[in-house]
Amino acid sequence: MPWSVDNVRIGIRNLLAHKLRSVLTMLGVIFGVAAVVSMLSIAGGARREAVEQIRLLGTNHVRVKHRELVGEAREQADQRGSRGLRRQDAAILTEGLPDVDGVAPVRFVDATVLYGGQESTGHVVATDEDYAHVTGVRAREGRFLSPLDVRGAKRVAVMGADAKDELFGFRNAIGRRIRIDDGWFTVVGVLERRNVREGKEAVVEVRNVNRDIFVPISTASIRLPDARREGAIDEIAIRVDGDDRVPRTARIAGRLLARAHRGVEDFDIVIPAELLARARQTQRVFNIVMGSIAAISLLVGGIGIMNVMLTSVTERTREIGIRRAVGATQRAILGQFLMETVVVSAAGGLLGIGLGFAMAKGINLFAGWATVISLPAAGLAFGISALVGVVFGVYPARRAARMDPITALRFE
Amino acid sequence: MQIRLEDVRKSYPMGEGVLRALRGVTLSIERGEYVVFMGPSGSGKSTLLHLAGCLDRPSSGACWLDGERVEDLPDAALSGLRNRKIGFVFQSFHLIAQLDVVENVEVPLYYAGVEPRKRRELAAQALDAVGLATRLAHRPNQLSGGERQRVAIARALVVRPEIILADEPTGNLDSRTGDEVMELLEKQNARGVTLVVVTHDPEKARRARRVVQMRDGLVAWEQHSDDEGFPHGPRGAAIQ
Repeated sequence: MPWSVDNVRIGIRNLLAHKLRSVLTMLGVIFGVAAVVSMLSIAGGARREAVEQIRLLGTNHVRVKHRELVGEAREQADQRGSRGLRRQDAAILTEGLPDVDGVAPVRFVDATVLYGGQESTGHVVATDEDYAHVTGVRAREGRFLSPLDVRGAKRVAVMGADAKDELFGFRNAIGRRIRIDDGWFTVVGVLERRNVREGKEAVVEVRNVNRDIFVPISTASIRLPDARREGAIDEIAIRVDGDDRVPRTARIAGRLLARAHRGVEDFDIVIPAELLARARQTQRVFNIVMGSIAAISLLVGGIGIMNVMLTSVTERTREIGIRRAVGATQRAILGQFLMETVVVSAAGGLLGIGLGFAMAKGINLFAGWATVISLPAAGLAFGISALVGVVFGVYPARRAARMDPITALRFE
Repeated sequence: MQIRLEDVRKSYPMGEGVLRALRGVTLSIERGEYVVFMGPSGSGKSTLLHLAGCLDRPSSGACWLDGERVEDLPDAALSGLRNRKIGFVFQSFHLIAQLDVVENVEVPLYYAGVEPRKRRELAAQALDAVGLATRLAHRPNQLSGGERQRVAIARALVVRPEIILADEPTGNLDSRTGDEVMELLEKQNARGVTLVVVTHDPEKARRARRVVQMRDGLVAWEQHSDDEGFPHGPRGAAIQ
């Protein structure tokens, strides 16, 4: 009986009969639900973005990064004879690591890139032929660096999609020669564009390969030497055979390198999957704040609804008496008033869902945060609003149901 | 429907004391009877009507409806009896202002579990029977007092009750409209429905076949229409 169509109809009619009062009653629930929906949308967006970024980095990846030492630590490293991350380290890891699918050394070269008098804002990255396999970049045109390029220290370059567009526009870049510092390099490939998000709002910072210009690491060490650190590299990218083996591989890599560097900690081991966990941690704080706002709004909203329903029960005392006189049971009265409260709070829930999505869209437009509008989030929010109706409707409904019919009929 | 009350008492707490509305009433009303309860305000006639209609429970004593003891039945059972067997008509009509005329008449059918389309059909028939077939979509406040009372009668009749309990049904109406309303109720009695009316009006009492005079929570006297001097009580005692 409580959930009958008639009770819903009565509820909707009462809602529409006092529109302003209904909206004011619903305000708390509207804001509460809007907070829930926008929170879930923002959280969903951030999660999706983080996952995408991590996917670009690769969940089966480990990166070893050079750590710049200063002062005393630098002196100690020099004494022990560690010269930072070097190409040989990549070879040590290739040989020593089990379950490894590829290892690529990476050096970021500070060089000027020119074509036809125009300077590129892209970055030169020196690596070897394994880089494509390790990081999953693919050539859109031409090819990536080959073993021959690396072994023969060829003056070839592979351009990221943005770097190519910047220098060549719509023109074909393959076979053209670009100038990197003092040397001429022939473009042999252009990479597929990757969907990378840059800047402060990015949940996890990922290198934008679209702006990179890749050259063989051997060529770079001859043609584009690092004046400060000869033979040094900045990163080693490792692709692990299976996501579950990543932590173990990272541990072993750490141990191998520590031995090679004689205990000097001049490198960091980064696991992208851990970055995701950190991003989630930040997200959790946000969720707690939004969740608290939502909970307080819903509580206040629920109390507001209860207050109005109690007034309504008093106002309609005579109606309750009439209904009881013609055969309504206590249960039927309870159901009717409970349903009316649920209708009010659920209507508030629907408005709140609309407002929440609008807020999410607004946040997306003005703050640049990624948001995801998900139906399960809307369903959850609607469920919560209906639940608020049930919880806060029980007391007024019980009061209505327990009224003495005679007293109710005589009520003036 | 037969109603039997035995030594029924009813008291209400009032302030620090107790109001004894009924002080031990024993009477029975036979199936198809037309009984009028009369008496001054506070004599207990409305309380008696409420007990007979299962709207209230006695403080002590026993109530039988068709041989079934009802005073200890659970709420749902009493509600069911009111819904199926009893039709109430009140002095101040007691219509639900937010519902239109036909919806008001549908209310008892709703609690009887009748499906919506059938409800509408039966309610329209009941309104037709009281001459309000053209007023279905009106709100109670758009009707005259007499029309409102006729809606209330239609609501009482729509479940085809075995008994109609009318508490001062003409109290808020002019005499001509009051007579029309009484005729409507008496028409039901002629069809075999037990009719119990509470009234102050001796003219209305004259129409009944039996008058019960209440005073101070007790039956003072009662008379049948074929008794001498009806309805003036024994030794010409004036009715009040």
